[in-house]
Amino acid sequence: MSRLKNIIVILGSLLLLLSVFVYDVAERAVTIDIGGAAYIREAAVLAAFLLLYLYVRGSRIGKAVAIPKNIGKLLAYSLVVLFLTATIYFVTQSSANGEEASVGPRGAVGNLLSLLLAVSLGLFSITTLLTIKDLILRKRKKGTKRNFVIYLVLMICTNLSVLPLIPAEGNLVASILFPLALVLIVINSFKQNWIVYLSRREKIYSIVYGALLFVSFVGLNVFSKQTLIDRSLGMFNQPLQSFIQLNAMFGAVYFGMAFVTTLFHLPTADVFERKQSELTSLHNLSRLVTQVFDFNDLLNTVTNMTLEVVGAKSAWLELLKAPASNGEVRIDVVSLKNISPEQINAITVDSESSLRRLVMESKRALLIDDVSTDRRTRYIKKRGVDIGSLLSVPLVSHGELIGFLHATKDFQFGFDQDDIDVMTTFADHVTIAIENSKLIQKSLVRERYQQEMMVAQEMQRRLLPQRLPEHPFLQIAAVSEPSMEVGGDYFDFVKLDGDRFGVVVGDVSGKGVSAAFYMAEVKGIFQSLSKLCTSPRDLLVRANQALKDSLEKKAFISLLYGIIDLGQGKLTLARAGHCPLVYISGLAVELVRPTGIGLGLTNDALFEEVTQETTIDLKKDDVCIFYTDGINESRNGAGEEFGFDRLVQAALGARYLPAEQMKQIILAEIRNHTGDSSYGDDMTLVVIKWVGQSEVQ
Amino acid sequence: MSEFKVQHRDGEGVSVIDLRGYLDAHTAPDLENAFQKLLNEKKFNIVVNCKDLSYISSAGLGVFMAFIEDVRKNQGDIKLTNMSPKVYNVFDLLGFPILYEIYKDELEAVKKFGERR
Repeated sequence: MSRLKNIIVILGSLLLLLSVFVYDVAERAVTIDIGGAAYIREAAVLAAFLLLYLYVRGSRIGKAVAIPKNIGKLLAYSLVVLFLTATIYFVTQSSANGEEASVGPRGAVGNLLSLLLAVSLGLFSITTLLTIKDLILRKRKKGTKRNFVIYLVLMICTNLSVLPLIPAEGNLVASILFPLALVLIVINSFKQNWIVYLSRREKIYSIVYGALLFVSFVGLNVFSKQTLIDRSLGMFNQPLQSFIQLNAMFGAVYFGMAFVTTLFHLPTADVFERKQSELTSLHNLSRLVTQVFDFNDLLNTVTNMTLEVVGAKSAWLELLKAPASNGEVRIDVVSLKNISPEQINAITVDSESSLRRLVMESKRALLIDDVSTDRRTRYIKKRGVDIGSLLSVPLVSHGELIGFLHATKDFQFGFDQDDIDVMTTFADHVTIAIENSKLIQKSLVRERYQQEMMVAQEMQRRLLPQRLPEHPFLQIAAVSEPSMEVGGDYFDFVKLDGDRFGVVVGDVSGKGVSAAFYMAEVKGIFQSLSKLCTSPRDLLVRANQALKDSLEKKAFISLLYGIIDLGQGKLTLARAGHCPLVYISGLAVELVRPTGIGLGLTNDALFEEVTQETTIDLKKDDVCIFYTDGINESRNGAGEEFGFDRLVQAALGARYLPAEQMKQIILAEIRNHTGDSSYGDDMTLVVIKWVGQSEVQ
Repeated sequence: MSEFKVQHRDGEGVSVIDLRGYLDAHTAPDLENAFQKLLNEKKFNIVVNCKDLSYISSAGLGVFMAFIEDVRKNQGDIKLTNMSPKVYNVFDLLGFPILYEIYKDELEAVKKFGERR
């Protein structure tokens, strides 16, 4: 309601009341004999109070004050009214002194008194009615509103039935309506649901307020019955008098009832309150389960909430470091509240009957009602730690213990069965949250490793030739596929002095990251030695020297190195334990394998002794295939290897085709052989076709 | 695909390890453990019977390299026997016959240990 509207309403009602007052005073002096004047007066009074009602209701809207405060306000109001009525009551009683009880102020003063009484009691009744209405309708059920509305209708009818303008039969109506209104008062007074939801503190307030309101309403009833107040009001306006009376009764019954109801609810107030906080806490935790990205935050929240959930003094959370497989368990206190690590140590570390062991064995909650006298925990007090009661629950994930949650209180018998249930449920939530958090951390770490591996893969790809060398005498095709992200296969080309050209293929033992590191080392060694060494054998001998000390015992590297003299059309080849060269000349196929031993297997002397070199005279369209064992050892689902024979057959079939197409055909044959089973090992294939000088000329 | 298996027998001062199935990066630790156990027991005369070995990878070959130095330092040896042609080819390509004594038959290898003593 706007301010202006308020002012208009207030002014309107004041104006009406003033006119009524003037009329009353005037009527004393002269007999007003205007037809219907009395009707107009009554109507004016009712209209004035209707406006007042609207004003009071409007001023309450939008102010949702706490219930006890609302009732407190009403109480303050009622005490003022009670004081007023009591004063009038006692003053008139004593002044009348028995002889003339009906004596009171007369004339204009009497009229003013009537008016003031009517306004103050009327306003009070309106406030009472609205307050009760708020309380009744706060927790609505079926029929709640209907009952209240019925009362309102009955009340209005009762009030109107006593209009003096309605003759004798009106009293009959009144005598039926009045008891009915009383019945509805009683029915409505049972609507006390608002009390349930008050906190314990608020309930205590409500009891006091309820009792005082009851007393004050009863007092009001007593003091106003058959006294000057009653008469003044009756004289002023009978419906108003009836309204005030009825509402005084409603107030007395309703707040009397509220007092009793609250009294009954008081013993369970604690429980109700705790249940509510438990609900809130569990609700919070289930929300927390989704917010597990910061592990330490989660652990802190767990202990904080433990305090809330069971109203504990202190709490701490322990997690097992490694799974309890060999009986030896490492336990870390990961979060604590209101307790020191030394105290925790004193409580939990005990050789005889460790609390942890008790919980661990039963995998159930352990409650110590009286820590100082309990046989299992007497030692705690001796160690100077003073706690009253203790509750420990295990955190169990998939049947496996992952930790403990402990809570203590200062006094004995601090925890009851409800607390145990709540703690156990809470522990389940905590377990899930912790497990989820760990999983998330793990997957984050894994993701990071994966990204690192992608980087490594890219790095290794760059270690292999980015572009194949081109020469009019040669066709070259090459491919290298690691079986994992990175691998140990290596191939390279190098342009040497004169008209010579080097080709190398190598394979580091093992797979994955370790192989990839050695592969990078081999590349460095090859690139630096190839310019220094005139023959392939020379390079292998010096590579063995360089590698022997940096390779771990069980690692070795196989290498096949060939130098092609482009001017003379000669291939010189040396082999360090590598797969033989597949050499195709016309229809003849040869697996060329000069004697040699893998790099890193033996000392320099023996290596130099056994490593031999061989030379091939290249003819037009001769093909040399360098490869790693991933090619010939590619297995199909039945475990059968691709083998040298299939490799040779595939190469022979494609001998008239350019090198690139021969490479494709060999790869297709391998895929055809392995079927769906993925490549088992790193695979490298280099095909070199000698076009020769004649073709160019 | 046959399961890999390491079995170990003792006889006449020579320890025999029987290999079976696939010896690769996954199964190599089993053989490593077998060798380590023999070394811990100061048994340095070792024969590895490869009769039932159907495949050996570079990681498998590495196991022999890891132990041969220690064994020979203690006047012992690792001798290999009963290889299938396919498995022998893998050993041969890498040059193992230059480094290890390889025999057709287990008894032959055991006898060699006897002769030396």
